[in-house]
Amino acid sequence: MNRALRRVALACLAMFLLLLVNANYVQGFEAGKLADYPGNGRTFAQQYQYQRGSIITADNKPIAESKHVSGVFSFQRHYSGGPTYAPVTGYDTPYSKTGIEQAEDKLLAGTDPRLAVRNLIDLVTGKPRKGATVQLTINSAAQKAAYQALKATGRPGGAVAIDPSTGAILALASYPSFNPNRLATLNGKALNKADKEYLNSPQQPLLNRAINETFPPGSTFKVVTSSAAFSSGKYNPDSRYSAPTNLKLPNTTNQLINFDNSACNDGSNPTGNGTVPLIYAFTVSCNTVFGGLGMKLGGSALRGQANAFGMNTELRIPLKVSVSNYPRVSDPALTAYSAIGQYNDTVTPLQEAMFAAAIANRGTLMRPYMVQKVIAPNLTPLVTTQPSVLNHTVSRTVAGQVARMMAGVVAQPYGTAHSIVASLGGITAAGKTGTAQNGANNTGLDDAVFTSFAPVANPRIAVGVVVKGGGLGADASAPVAVQIIKAYINYLNSSAKR
Amino acid sequence: MRALGATGDGTDTAGTVTSPGLFRAVPLPRGRRRAELIMLAFAIVVVLFAYASVGLGLNGHVPTGLATYGLLFALLMLAAHLAIRRLAPWADPLLLPLAALLNGLGLVMIYRLQEAGRNGNPGNPISTMSASTTTFQLVWSTIGVIAFVAVLVVVREPRMLQRYTYTLGVIGLVLIALPALLPPSVSEVPGTGAKIQVAVGGFSIQPEEFGKIALAVFFAGYLVAKRDVLALAGRHVLGIALPRARDLGPVLMAWAASLLVLVFESDIGTSALFFGMFLIMLYVATQRTSWLLIGTSLFLAGAFLASQLVSHVGLRFSIWLHPFTYANVFCGSPTVHVPCVPSYQLAQGMYGLGFGGILGTGLGHGQPYLTPLVQSDFIITAFGEELGLTGLMALLLVYGLIVERGLRAAVAVRDPFAKLLAAGLSFVIALQVFVIVGGVTQLIPLTGITTPFLSQGGSSLVASWMVIAVLMRVSDTARRPAPQPIQDEGMTQVVRGI
Repeated sequence: MNRALRRVALACLAMFLLLLVNANYVQGFEAGKLADYPGNGRTFAQQYQYQRGSIITADNKPIAESKHVSGVFSFQRHYSGGPTYAPVTGYDTPYSKTGIEQAEDKLLAGTDPRLAVRNLIDLVTGKPRKGATVQLTINSAAQKAAYQALKATGRPGGAVAIDPSTGAILALASYPSFNPNRLATLNGKALNKADKEYLNSPQQPLLNRAINETFPPGSTFKVVTSSAAFSSGKYNPDSRYSAPTNLKLPNTTNQLINFDNSACNDGSNPTGNGTVPLIYAFTVSCNTVFGGLGMKLGGSALRGQANAFGMNTELRIPLKVSVSNYPRVSDPALTAYSAIGQYNDTVTPLQEAMFAAAIANRGTLMRPYMVQKVIAPNLTPLVTTQPSVLNHTVSRTVAGQVARMMAGVVAQPYGTAHSIVASLGGITAAGKTGTAQNGANNTGLDDAVFTSFAPVANPRIAVGVVVKGGGLGADASAPVAVQIIKAYINYLNSSAKR
Repeated sequence: MRALGATGDGTDTAGTVTSPGLFRAVPLPRGRRRAELIMLAFAIVVVLFAYASVGLGLNGHVPTGLATYGLLFALLMLAAHLAIRRLAPWADPLLLPLAALLNGLGLVMIYRLQEAGRNGNPGNPISTMSASTTTFQLVWSTIGVIAFVAVLVVVREPRMLQRYTYTLGVIGLVLIALPALLPPSVSEVPGTGAKIQVAVGGFSIQPEEFGKIALAVFFAGYLVAKRDVLALAGRHVLGIALPRARDLGPVLMAWAASLLVLVFESDIGTSALFFGMFLIMLYVATQRTSWLLIGTSLFLAGAFLASQLVSHVGLRFSIWLHPFTYANVFCGSPTVHVPCVPSYQLAQGMYGLGFGGILGTGLGHGQPYLTPLVQSDFIITAFGEELGLTGLMALLLVYGLIVERGLRAAVAVRDPFAKLLAAGLSFVIALQVFVIVGGVTQLIPLTGITTPFLSQGGSSLVASWMVIAVLMRVSDTARRPAPQPIQDEGMTQVVRGI
């Protein structure tokens, strides 16, 4: 019987060898594939075993932090700013990420190759892996002011503030916003509830209106039309241009009219058959003048100028920005409409800020960015963003001319945004209002748009605001911009004193 | 480990250099009990370290019960060792340390799972576990060691069991058939559909575990009696000597019985174990390969038929082939509406193995509790996750060594009944490990059977200790030195043992 027994022993050996080989295959070779299956709870729990890096503002206020908790997940993400910073930080759930949490995920999680050497040292010295800290360009004073002011309007909208000389984004707010803490919860039921609530809400709180929703720019586009006109060399702010009360458009029965069907009269054009200086038309925002000017310049010239300001261009700040659109247009009537920011023109609030920023920086548009630097856990900087030029939009002279007109909009008693002077508290500002008609046959509520920079002499901040259905730009959007400008300039003054 | 004599006469080569010289001192064969004690101490130290490691991994400090539980476990194993010194002094020195190591590590893992709780929430135990599960398991270990000693006390000689061949055959059949005859409320393992237990008032045993041993004795006794008849060859087909048709009876009966188990208890694992054990013993008894071929094809045909007829069995095949298709669906959840294939458990086990990788997460650092029923059928995946491929292979080698020592005893022993019994029991351990470890690592379709010594549950643990006792009794018999003449020929001889 021993011969058979030895064969049985061989069979047992074969069974154990099969088990061993299979275990090697599963744990040695297939482990990576298994980790990538979407239902693998261990993989996503692992993200919470290490401390994720913080996100801090330019003035060192933490706005996203991982705090130690007990339980399966060692760390819980906490967003101290709540809805104020939500469009900036985004959220970090076990299943998905948005905002900076997504854009800088590898650095925050500590898995970026640039942290590999550090991780290796930590592994050897027995320290737990830690993510890098991401410092943003966001200024907490400007950001808070932006969110509070938008919230005060009670209407959906977005606001963006840029440092014109660098392109650093100082504030990026959206309303209605969401509370990222509710999505960062590790309680599956609560997460599910918050997720459903936000996704199904008609107010679309998860939509980042500052960079991911586009609105018609309305009269703020006259900044672009003016820039194109002055750049052609044929016009300056004092050039007089035909200012009819009704501008007859070719090949259509439609007529272009001014706001409230009023005449464009600086005192020299009482009949509506004469001319006005362009600076006057800009200050009171005459549609007929800029419609006519636009037709004269032509669609391609306007498009070229719009592109120089960053329209029709993909942009990452590093969040993905929706493209602001200026269409290809050849029909004269449509060109007239597009020259005053109607027709198919669409912009994001960020684009509005970029209009003013380019003018404020003497024609040089800096590339907007939001991440100032990334700091490794041992406090050595890993990445520092250097400001870079996105486009040279107009010459210094032209920029000065447009800036003069924009300053007039606020400073002149008849300017469309003169009402904000009182609330500016001594700060000089320049801007352009827009009241964009929308909806079928323009039946929708007008969107209030405002692009501005301040102070006029030495611009430190450029702001773009859109309030959906806000009515007149001066009524709804300009006050928001004022709040942001005041908060930031006051911050600069107080930090300079210190 | 020392090689046995080439003749396989069961005595240590070092101890049996019998010399023709009458008055030369004959070195006594060694029982190697001291080696056993040293290895046992090593096994206990490994277990205690693992226990401390669990506490450190989970709570950051050594568990408070280390002294008491550790002492209890050590005393228990020491008692087993002392019993062997007295009852089976010549038995194999490896079997007890190996069994003690497995039993101890099983206790540690069950403690670890009990402490972690469901989804890692301490105080909320995994289903079928409670806050005192480890204590219960320690009580079962004690009962197991008592049963181990009892077997050694009662069975002083393997041949003794041969007397009860048919009695034990009937007992074995009754034990196996019992769950099928009882109502599902008593016999069904909740959530599996398998009728394999007898549960009364929260206390359950799986009679098949004991039936397995009884049937092994029956098969051995029966085959020893009938092996000559069964070994008779009939016609030769393709070089294989087929048995006579009239001798097929017992094989067909065993096949039918195993199929009945499969159909009425929905338990393909147990059915495979019994039939495999019978086939191997038949093969060892007759040395006829044809029996193996006939038996294997009969079993495969039966299993295929069952997979078509019994939905429970058929499902196992589709899970095996596509474990990740429905892996995200936990069929126990009341909100599951999609067609539910319960592959969640297998997928979770595989994720755990993958997560452990080569070196494992360390005891207390993984998430084995994510796998349903991880404390019983899937305990090997918990080891794979926390001790890694390294630990899993070590465990498999421990099992391999037990099987090897058992088969070695079978080869060494002279008595054909003991030979068959040891071969059958050793093989059934190998087969059981193959079926369950292969099942949870996706090598073969998963069937829920226990992992010897490791899984939570008393019946399997006690039965495993009894199997070890039988194997040690066989090895004791095999290694016991032949009676030595102590005086000149013609004088009275003292016969040692029986």
